[in-house]
Amino acid sequence: MSQDKPDIKEILVTVKQLLESIANKSKGGERYDALCGAFLLGVVDRELECGERQDENQNRELQVLLGKEGTLSDLYELFCQQVRCGELDEQWPTAFDFALRQVIDKVSVTNPDYLATMHRADTECENQQSPVK
Amino acid sequence: MMTEVSEQQTEIDDIVAKLGLALKRRYGEGIRVDNVSIATLGASNRTVLFDAVETAGRRRLVLRQETVKSEVSPFISPHDQFEILKVVYRHGVLVPEPIFELEPEDDLDVGYVMACVEGETLPKVLLNAPEYVVARKRFATQTGEIFAKLHAISTSEVPFLEKVADSIDPLAAQISRYDAYCEYHPGLDVGIRWLENNCPKEKPRVFVHGDYRNGNVILSRNGIEAVLDWECAHIGSAMEDFGWVCLRAWRFGNIDQPVGGFGPRDEFYRAYTSNGGQTIDEEEIRWWEIFGSLRWAVLNMMQADGHIRGVRRSLPFACCGRNTSMIEYEMLMTINGQFS
Repeated sequence: MSQDKPDIKEILVTVKQLLESIANKSKGGERYDALCGAFLLGVVDRELECGERQDENQNRELQVLLGKEGTLSDLYELFCQQVRCGELDEQWPTAFDFALRQVIDKVSVTNPDYLATMHRADTECENQQSPVK
Repeated sequence: MMTEVSEQQTEIDDIVAKLGLALKRRYGEGIRVDNVSIATLGASNRTVLFDAVETAGRRRLVLRQETVKSEVSPFISPHDQFEILKVVYRHGVLVPEPIFELEPEDDLDVGYVMACVEGETLPKVLLNAPEYVVARKRFATQTGEIFAKLHAISTSEVPFLEKVADSIDPLAAQISRYDAYCEYHPGLDVGIRWLENNCPKEKPRVFVHGDYRNGNVILSRNGIEAVLDWECAHIGSAMEDFGWVCLRAWRFGNIDQPVGGFGPRDEFYRAYTSNGGQTIDEEEIRWWEIFGSLRWAVLNMMQADGHIRGVRRSLPFACCGRNTSMIEYEMLMTINGQFS
């Protein structure tokens, strides 16, 4: 770690607590903005925690599914194009499963409480108590 | 921050001054504007509440102005919205009375003025506050009655809606808007493919509201008082309105009450058919709910795009971009039968 304390998580906690305290004292638009800011810092925290691993796993899965290598963004584009033009219809369950897992990954970062119980155990962010909650 | 606030106040003062002149042009020198408040900025409109005051008394009115002009806007023009208000008001659909449309001489951009209907629109308040217990119980039935009346209006009374992209091919319209953002969402593309492979059969084409949901309806303690936000109106299958109002996102956590979080499907369907509505097709409604997730996801992308491009910087709009994932989740879980 090349940076001095506080580390990035501590900074997130501090700013999130500030926004929550502003939200508690505010009304209307200001309260809503503060809550949104706190929510987005929670997203940042979870993405820092598990985003990289999710990307690596998805990249590996897509390489197998599509038979191609590339950046995750390139592979998303290719996957979407192939799904759209029906090239993956023959592998529909596999394509559907990948899309659902990718979405579960995203929700586990955005708002893990939104996932059905059956998917909470699947997420990489599980058991990693976010300090920004 | 202070500069921002004062700029906003200057803008409001400017609107109020021009609005006063617009009223005098129509109703004479004896009328003035009073008691102005700016309601929450909507996705495509600014809403200003005010009193029109004359010697004889005062009346609360609402000014709606277009605020977003985008090439990929999914919203019909304020002129067409005003025309729709006139048609549905004439047919006795519960809407605010249309008062007048803005003209170039008003120098207020485009929009219209309508009557203000007292009541509540905030979904969580409506779903939880004790004073709305009667209104909650009546919502599904009342919505069925409103849909029956709306869908019975001849499309020949709103011919300008035929040219709306959503009237021509609703799925193609959503795909085109999604593609315009140049983003790749595996969940959405899988959903699009499913929708294409499971398209419902052609049904009679009727006049649909297009955005009837918890949040776009004014309720009093007694029930629905007015249906708002007609900017997504078009011609299509009656089942589209059913799918949209039952979308999981509009249940606001009351997932066991599919009709806007208020009530069950059977009461809703029964009220619709017993008032002369079209035949209910539950499988088609499910298709429109999955379609609705695609549409709602794309609308969230639109909000996030406005924030990212700096057109409308806002933390809530920034959240919209990330919220797309939850909508995709609902869409895929509905397709695989886990959600209903």
